Amino acid sequence: MRNLIPRGQFVRLAAILAPFLGLGGMLANASDDPALVAFFETKIRPVLVEHCQKCHGSELPTPKGGLQLDSRNGLRKGGDSGPVVVVGKPEESPLYQAIAHSGEVSAMPPKTKLTPSVVADFHRWIAQGAVDPRTEPASPAKGGTPSTDWWSLRPLKRPEVPSLGEVGTQWSRTAIDRFIYLKLTDAKLQPAPESDRRTLIRRVSYDLTGLPPSPQEVNAFVRDPDPNAYELLIDRLLASSRYGERWARHWLDLIHFADTHGFEHDVLRPNAWRYRDYVIESFNVDKPWPRFIQEQLAADVLCKNEPRLKSALGFLGAGPYDQSAAATAPMAFEYLDRDDLVTQTMGAFVSTTANCARCHAHKFDPISQEDYFSLQAVFAGIGKGDISYDEDQGVEQQRSHWKSVLAACDQEQTDLLFSPENRSLVAAWEQSRSAMNAWIPLDVDVFVSSGGADLKREPDGSILSGGTRPDKETTTLTVTSRLSEIHGLRLDVLADPSLPLSGPGRMDNGNLHLSEFEAMVFRPGQPKPEKLKFRRATADWNQVDWGIARAIDGNPATAWGIYPKVGESHHAVFEFEQPLKLSSDARLVVVLKQLHGGGHILGRLRLSATSSPGETSIALPALADSALQIPIDQRSAEQNKALASAVLKVHAEVEIAKLPAQVKVYGAASMAENDRGLIAFASPRIVTILNRGELDKPGEQVVAGSLSAVTALKARFELSDPSNEAARRVALADWIADPNNPLTWRSIANRVWQSHFGRGLCDTPNDFGRMGGLPSHPELLDWLAAELRDQGGSLKHLHRLICRSSVYRQASIHREEAAAIDPENRLLWRMNRQRLDADAFRDTVLAVSGRLDLTMGGVGIALFQSRPGPQLTPTLDYSAFDWDSPGAGRRSIYRVVWRSIPDPLMEALDFPDASLLAPIRGFSVSPLQTLALLNNNFVLNQSGHLASRVKASQATTADQIREAFRLTLLRDPTPEESSRFVAIADKHSLAAACRLLLNCNEFLFVE
Amino acid sequence: MTPYIPILSRREILGRWGGGFGSLALAQLLGLEALGDESKTAPPEFNGGLHHPAKVRRVIQLFMNGGASPMDTFDYKPELARLHGQMIGPKEKPEGFTAPAGAVMKSPFEFKQYGESGRWVSSVFPELSKRVDELAFLMAMTTKTNVHGLGSYLMNTGFILPGFPCMGAWISYALGSLTENLPAFVVLPDARGLPYNQRANFSAGFLPAKHQGTVIQAATSSQAVPDLFADPKYPFASGVADSEGIALLQHMNRQHAADHPADSRLEARIASCELAAKMQLSAPEAFDLSRESEITRKGYGLDNKVTEDFGRRCLLARRLIERGTRFVQVWSGAQGAVLNWDNHANIQTELPIMANSVDRPISALLDDLKARGLMEDTLLIWTTEFGRTPFAQASMGRDHNGGTFVTWLAGAGIKPGVAHGRSDDLGYQTAEGKTYCYDLHATILHLLGIDHTKLTVRNAGIDRRLTDVHGHVIQPILA
Repeated sequence: MRNLIPRGQFVRLAAILAPFLGLGGMLANASDDPALVAFFETKIRPVLVEHCQKCHGSELPTPKGGLQLDSRNGLRKGGDSGPVVVVGKPEESPLYQAIAHSGEVSAMPPKTKLTPSVVADFHRWIAQGAVDPRTEPASPAKGGTPSTDWWSLRPLKRPEVPSLGEVGTQWSRTAIDRFIYLKLTDAKLQPAPESDRRTLIRRVSYDLTGLPPSPQEVNAFVRDPDPNAYELLIDRLLASSRYGERWARHWLDLIHFADTHGFEHDVLRPNAWRYRDYVIESFNVDKPWPRFIQEQLAADVLCKNEPRLKSALGFLGAGPYDQSAAATAPMAFEYLDRDDLVTQTMGAFVSTTANCARCHAHKFDPISQEDYFSLQAVFAGIGKGDISYDEDQGVEQQRSHWKSVLAACDQEQTDLLFSPENRSLVAAWEQSRSAMNAWIPLDVDVFVSSGGADLKREPDGSILSGGTRPDKETTTLTVTSRLSEIHGLRLDVLADPSLPLSGPGRMDNGNLHLSEFEAMVFRPGQPKPEKLKFRRATADWNQVDWGIARAIDGNPATAWGIYPKVGESHHAVFEFEQPLKLSSDARLVVVLKQLHGGGHILGRLRLSATSSPGETSIALPALADSALQIPIDQRSAEQNKALASAVLKVHAEVEIAKLPAQVKVYGAASMAENDRGLIAFASPRIVTILNRGELDKPGEQVVAGSLSAVTALKARFELSDPSNEAARRVALADWIADPNNPLTWRSIANRVWQSHFGRGLCDTPNDFGRMGGLPSHPELLDWLAAELRDQGGSLKHLHRLICRSSVYRQASIHREEAAAIDPENRLLWRMNRQRLDADAFRDTVLAVSGRLDLTMGGVGIALFQSRPGPQLTPTLDYSAFDWDSPGAGRRSIYRVVWRSIPDPLMEALDFPDASLLAPIRGFSVSPLQTLALLNNNFVLNQSGHLASRVKASQATTADQIREAFRLTLLRDPTPEESSRFVAIADKHSLAAACRLLLNCNEFLFVE
Repeated sequence: MTPYIPILSRREILGRWGGGFGSLALAQLLGLEALGDESKTAPPEFNGGLHHPAKVRRVIQLFMNGGASPMDTFDYKPELARLHGQMIGPKEKPEGFTAPAGAVMKSPFEFKQYGESGRWVSSVFPELSKRVDELAFLMAMTTKTNVHGLGSYLMNTGFILPGFPCMGAWISYALGSLTENLPAFVVLPDARGLPYNQRANFSAGFLPAKHQGTVIQAATSSQAVPDLFADPKYPFASGVADSEGIALLQHMNRQHAADHPADSRLEARIASCELAAKMQLSAPEAFDLSRESEITRKGYGLDNKVTEDFGRRCLLARRLIERGTRFVQVWSGAQGAVLNWDNHANIQTELPIMANSVDRPISALLDDLKARGLMEDTLLIWTTEFGRTPFAQASMGRDHNGGTFVTWLAGAGIKPGVAHGRSDDLGYQTAEGKTYCYDLHATILHLLGIDHTKLTVRNAGIDRRLTDVHGHVIQPILA
């Protein structure tokens, strides 16, 4: 969105008429004098469009008089009776004569007369050379592809720094100034004087950190005798962690990052913040720009040594996600989701509107549909959701090692199972096992069947189930033990001739299903039993998909089974999380839930306990157990495999459990987990060109690639394994980060410039194509881009250069004569005044009220109250938020941004719709905004805190007012201001006066 | 930081451009007149229109959230009774259906013909059916999706992806408000909650933030406009403290503007503060329904639990447009499994609850607008995001169906008692006279004096329109 007045006015007019105009016609020639171009654009073109083109347009089959006024060529060529403009001589120009109703030509427009001021504008325009920046072709390319000969696509070469005369050289502190000065003098403009130090420190503090300086910092800087004080200030600000927080916000705007999905089910992404922290840190460490690009697109592949950088993959998941469409309309969802990612990636990194080529070749830029769908193919294999990873490389390696051991156990990979390291692990285990204390049978005092089975104690202490077979059963056993400390319990399920197929279960096929194995202890004097937790369960045999772990998972719907190994005894071992200390008067109760139904109940069982710790007491498969019964040299290979597998499996699980838990980031990669489970494609989706962009009109299949218009680079990626989705992302990352990609460097250099001047050298920062604006200083932009590229991609280097420049240090004062030449200040004859954006406003209010909390990073702060909504999306109430609750004073970058339920205060101050790529913060003024600033609870609450703060340090109202002025406006009040503010404070409280300071334009605008 | 805005003071522009253009910059910054300021120089017969004379100056849109079933309301399909129970639907679950298609299901409601026009209406709308001769029906509306989020975006913004301005925002941008005392675009959501996409349906997208819908919780909010007054727990910002404080603030800002000349933004902030004060004076009155007569309140159904919420918001919509709000959107139904028009489980029980809640209020609104002469320049639209399947979901529900659905319009510029388009015999897809949201939007803009192809704003390299690259004014329903 352009917010340019008066050009904005033109843009609107032109926009309305754009379909008739041919939009290419809006663009100026880079060589034209911007001031004259601006004059044409604001004064001349709108009139041509509005009053002339209806009859003199090239779209018409027969333009009146053969004259076409909608292009430069048409205007220069003139009509049937010859040229209409004599450059430099308005009175002799038939065009001027026609509108001035002078001379012999027909008066134009036919039915009305243009106002005298418009006629005067045409006079001036022709007199000054009739500069006409419009280019050909005026209309979208017909048939042919638009040329790649375009400013942003040309190879990036470092331009010569202009040499200047004495005055210019004196004024210039940096190469930047020389480029600026040259254009200023060409337009007969003078730069503004340097700003005072108070203005400078406020300006540069906001630009680099998004926060104001404190009154003390202002004082110190103003009085600092060091001639390098300003340079040192810049370095200090760039070194501050506040810098990364400020710049992260710019970047997150640009890529429509938010903490929630958006769309119908706008739910929280609890792990999105890790990417936000990644961005902050990246800017703070001044990560080389190419690295920043590569990490965000492919950290999973490119940063093997720094697994914590996987948080960068949050870039790929930054945008909205339609959970409902993903579930019910997957084809359309994936297509649109990829489209969004292509748009985001190409807009953010290379300022290109590739998505315009979705339905047909780009009308204005050399981007084919094949280019566009090649970009879609880059992202055709990713899943969006939470990505789990270890932050520490050592941990990651251990996890991966033990996972491979687990896999080896499952697949009996002998090379790994019998590796020297693992052999010694098994040997050590065997030693500890041989030292193990025996399993001591538990004495069953009471046993109860809830299902109605007939339970009998056998001579060996086991319990046999007989009588009518219940459908389901819960067996409760109260036991005592001689042991004073128990580490684990063992359940034997025993074969018995009385059972079907000899059991050990009572199901017809001899099977059983143990749904839950629970234990609790009753201690004397305690009214309630203590439920005991298990760390691990092992069994000598597990039915497929009915593993013993299911008996301690707390889910009664899952269970342990032993089929088809019926007719033989089995056992399971349950290890307590904490060793159980058992006094003699305590009672242990074991509950065996057999809830599967169909008579899957235990036939004969026995319980025992051990005081041996941990892994030594695990249950072993029969084959492994048999190995332990014979000397090592007599064991078969099968026995050894079984033993190693059983021991190492538990050991690996123990080792993995010891590792710090993995963390998650919301993003996209080859594999991610979301509400639909694990999202991982076996191979990337096939992407074809879609006719008119419609899913049901597929055309040729494409390979992963990018823009052909960047001729220095290969547009189609040559990958050794095209089915490797990550390799596609790596290739795109390399393509973007390439030193020979001119778009990349121009794009970010322009954004850095924009962050300081409020407007880029090219004022359409996400569109460097023919629909975008032209750079006001193309050579300077190229110089900055080359400097960035050649100086290691350091953004801080560029900030330093810009902040040190004379052009940046200028005052923002208005000068009538300069405004007459360059009303938009494109040539930078002064500094631009800028309003605080939503984040800077909120952070500043906190800073001056003393409530700013500079805690960095971590889970986002929700500045609202949330309650469940009718569906998945919660209901948020921003007005109910307690502004004195913990975290309320954190910087705005740490706020939870709910995509479709925006914060009303931030929204009023033009915080962008988080579904929209926002390379520029908008500017609006409205009564609703004014009301929000005056009456929002945040502002009122903070007004109170500011009042308390100044009261705490000052005694009289006048001193308090002075202190409040110093904090907010960084100056003392005038005597008149002082008396008026004191009057308000005395009558209505100091908070009333503070509220006004937070609302005044001097506070809201930065000079 | 906000982008730099070239600075020309009001005086300066006045001096250079003459009066007509002079106030434009300021007015535009304030969003008062927006593009419509050109009407000041336009011939009076343009009636506020940007590109041609406008027939409509204000709009009320009633949005039935969830996908109101056409074949159980306005789209009579006798064929469904004949084929009832037959499995003739799509074999594979189409994109966006939440379940595979079941058997054909006839409407459980009785249909009758009404009025001179002989429109078929089901028994769920006993009041509205008496007024069909005032309405113009689009019987073959269609959409590009069967998913709520996407469908709601499409109907509101013309795009299935988020981030685009909704129709209300475009209209605010193009025409501004008719009053300085109220927001130009107001949204009145169901008291039970926001629709699918939440507030993103009311977004200004890439247009300036001031054009977004002002969302007002009519049932619960103590404030007519958000932050209209300070919370009473901050007495230092209320009453005299507020008015005296604002006077000093304005003094400060004027002084500041004088010291920093030629910046229209500074002046706009000062002007907006004056307007805010005006809004404080007049907005509460607009929202005070107790000023309506008992008969009126009853007419809208405020005396009945079933109709109270929707009726209140219809009445409020009338008061707002009467006082100069340009566009009011009234939602029926929140997101969720029940209590909206997304009747997956049981059409017979779920639909009448919704229909009952709107039937009387809408009828009262139609009568009231007419009686007050507001219909002369007001457009009333009833719509939804998509239709429902002629096939049963489970046994008695209907699934999402973007194939065909019904919208009706009434009021200024509309030919009453007509219908355009026809769905197929099952009511599954359109058969003729198919219209998209683009056509509906183009028609609404047309009535407002706007050529939908000319109302564009460039964003990220594309001149964006409400109607994307589509849209035709639906002439057959125009008077």
